[in-house]
Amino acid sequence: MNAICTKNLTKKYALGWRQGRLLALDSLNLQVNDGEVYGLLGPNGSGKSTTLKLILGLISRTDGDAWVFDVPCDKVQSRLHVGFLPENPYFYKYLTGMETLEFYGRLCGMRGAPLQKRINELLELVGLTRARDRRLAGYSKGMLQRIGLAQAMIHDPKLLLLDEPTAGVDPIGSRDIRDMILRLKNMGKTVLLCSHLLEQVQEVCDRIGVLNLGKMILEGNMETLIRDQRRLTFTVQDLSDSARAQVEATVRAAGGQVLSVAHPQTTLESLFLDALKKDERGMGHHD
Amino acid sequence: MTESQVNLTTAATAIKPGRVGFSLHRVWIIGLNTFTESMRQKVFNILLIFALVAISSASFFTEFTFSEQLKFMKDFCLGAVSVFGTLIAIVGTAQLLPNELENRTIYTILAKPVRRLEFILGKYIGMALLLFISVLMMSLMLGAVLKIKEARMVMVAQQGVDQASTPDAREAAEGDLAQIRADTADLDIIKGIILIFIKLSLLAAITLLISTISTSMIFNVAVAFMVFFAGHLRSAATEAWAHHKIWLALLAILPDLGAFNVADDINLGNLIPWQHVGLVAADGLGRIVIILIATHLIFAKREI
Amino acid sequence: MRHKFLAILVLVLAAVLFSPLENRIQAERVWRKYGGARVSLPLREKLGQGTAVALLAGLRGVVADFLWIQNADYFVKDEWVPMYRNIELVTTLQPQSTTFWEQGAWHMGWNIGYSVSKDPKNENTAQGIRREREWHQKARDFLLRGIDNIPQQYDLYFALGWLYWTKLAKDCGENTDCQRAAYSKAAEYFGAAGEFPEAPTYIGREYARALEKCGRDRDAYEYWKTLWKADHKMTNQLWTEVERNIKRLEDALAIPEDKRVPRNKDDGSLQVPL
Repeated sequence: MNAICTKNLTKKYALGWRQGRLLALDSLNLQVNDGEVYGLLGPNGSGKSTTLKLILGLISRTDGDAWVFDVPCDKVQSRLHVGFLPENPYFYKYLTGMETLEFYGRLCGMRGAPLQKRINELLELVGLTRARDRRLAGYSKGMLQRIGLAQAMIHDPKLLLLDEPTAGVDPIGSRDIRDMILRLKNMGKTVLLCSHLLEQVQEVCDRIGVLNLGKMILEGNMETLIRDQRRLTFTVQDLSDSARAQVEATVRAAGGQVLSVAHPQTTLESLFLDALKKDERGMGHHD
Repeated sequence: MTESQVNLTTAATAIKPGRVGFSLHRVWIIGLNTFTESMRQKVFNILLIFALVAISSASFFTEFTFSEQLKFMKDFCLGAVSVFGTLIAIVGTAQLLPNELENRTIYTILAKPVRRLEFILGKYIGMALLLFISVLMMSLMLGAVLKIKEARMVMVAQQGVDQASTPDAREAAEGDLAQIRADTADLDIIKGIILIFIKLSLLAAITLLISTISTSMIFNVAVAFMVFFAGHLRSAATEAWAHHKIWLALLAILPDLGAFNVADDINLGNLIPWQHVGLVAADGLGRIVIILIATHLIFAKREI
Repeated sequence: MRHKFLAILVLVLAAVLFSPLENRIQAERVWRKYGGARVSLPLREKLGQGTAVALLAGLRGVVADFLWIQNADYFVKDEWVPMYRNIELVTTLQPQSTTFWEQGAWHMGWNIGYSVSKDPKNENTAQGIRREREWHQKARDFLLRGIDNIPQQYDLYFALGWLYWTKLAKDCGENTDCQRAAYSKAAEYFGAAGEFPEAPTYIGREYARALEKCGRDRDAYEYWKTLWKADHKMTNQLWTEVERNIKRLEDALAIPEDKRVPRNKDDGSLQVPL
């Protein structure tokens, strides 16, 4: 069974009187397999949000079909096993973290001790246990993102739709969310992730699709797509200058080209996180 | 987020697979949430202003007759219930949907197995609950201030009886005393309050309908107030346009809000039978149901 | 779009469905005299903008009270023209208020009348008296309109009777026919007021006096007798006054002994009926 399946899914928005219609999504054929992490990429206005909204039944389709676990998307029951984290959520400012999760849990039919247990676990998981009784008006951007993730997961859905889950979040929180996604994958969850942060997508996604102007222009397995078949990278250590010259000569003799020889770089993120780890006062989490 | 080995319980949901039916429980959850949000936004501060009105109207105008003083007090306080209630009903409801869209909370709710009808009904129920509590608290305050005022007036009137120089003057003073007791104990005022509450609920329903078409809070408030004033003018306009069937037909879409204002007549001592209250209430409640149906028809297909 | 049309259709159908109920409610409101004058353009022009908006918001009682409270100020400052305008306006807004009609008539018949009679702009005393009498007539017409609006309470009947008794009868001067007609009217209205069970006892006594004043001594005697026959546990009734008038009229009308109200043998006081 596919977690998500769309066939010729099309959406046209009416622009107003005598202004015609905007083709936001053009015959999208998308399949997200059960248990995989799928990255949906594209520039602004490419149709990513439209796709998510169509899958969630928030907007109606112009043409085509869409299913979630074989249930048509326009049916309420298609959302039984879906959790959604919208982009830049604010939630209800006057509820506490605990009350927010309680609200969403009760909406999903949960109650009593099982609900409380689930809430406690999720708050622990997203690192908001200490802020559980604080109103959301006092939460930072990162904390709102985390409570958003928690509410998406409150009813233990099989499929999670995450729209820019790390937008506005600091590198520590961003890494945590990334780890969370990998963990969900290990639990057998399916994740559809929309993000502009391509490095993060590269780290977590099994497959990606790239939308542009409503059309899918590239889709496939991550590893396969980003691999440059023509080039090889050797990483060596403790090589003398003369040995290096010999290696270069060998490559040329075999008909190859030495494109670059340089010292590898660590990533800025690793450098940042390592520096924080080494700080005796610990890593900053303002909750 | 910690790296501790937190194990999540799985399949914690109590949702049974299959068709998701309409649930009053979900309506109530959303309603309670709406009410809590409004309460924590300090809507009830408005009640402090009401308390000020009640106390002022009871303390001033002592140069008038007892009947006049009580009439002023009841008119001003019930007028304040109506005015503050209208502000809560219109402004409070007008920002419900725009806020949900701005905060994106509507996405998180409708992404759950929640029907649009449950959502919109829940929002309305929350608002109606807020109006009910507000009107109840203002009415209780009015009752309390009325009792204090009665005690003061009875003291003065009793002096009038004791100091009357002729039997006729005594009889007139005793009449005043009896009138004070009758005016303050007149429970008919409850009929006026019931109809005020229904009118406010009707205004909230109308505002909710308008807000499903427009997401601008200012537009919603403006149009709702236009309907409010037009509704009060309806009976006058019906008379003026009695021979124009098309205009009459269009007018009939507006509720006749003037019919809900029986508080003035009650304060004058007019008899308002329960049967009449029942007719007006039935009209109000019937209109609310129809407006909510229309609201659902629009909201069900609205692109979020 | 289709659903928006459907929603409009639902609202229109509802309007059709609710029309009979709303027409019935409106008819009842008219019949029971709820509300006051319709919010018309002439009415709105008489009210200020703020008060017109308040009226449109359904605050009829508050607007009327606000205007009435202004009258206290006008009374103190002798500003009778704005006061009279307010009285007319307030009784238009709330024609079901006994207080507004009663007090309004009092201002017109007593305060305004007296004030215009003493107006330095009067050419002579006669003009002053004539102007005062015009206000008495205005007060009478005003009360008649009040009674039309509130026929179910005794207050305005009594107020009109009192106006005839104290002002309109005196306006007749030496004209005895005019006086008799005025006292007759006073009797008529005192009698109407006395018919109400909640009317105070002094109204009955005033009625009897008014009957005498307009030359109906026999009727007055019969009426004093009906008062005497009422429940003597009523402490408000002036029994000595009733007794005194019965005795006086029996002598004045030369009622035969056997037709008079029985006396107590010891002191000649009237026997209290069982």
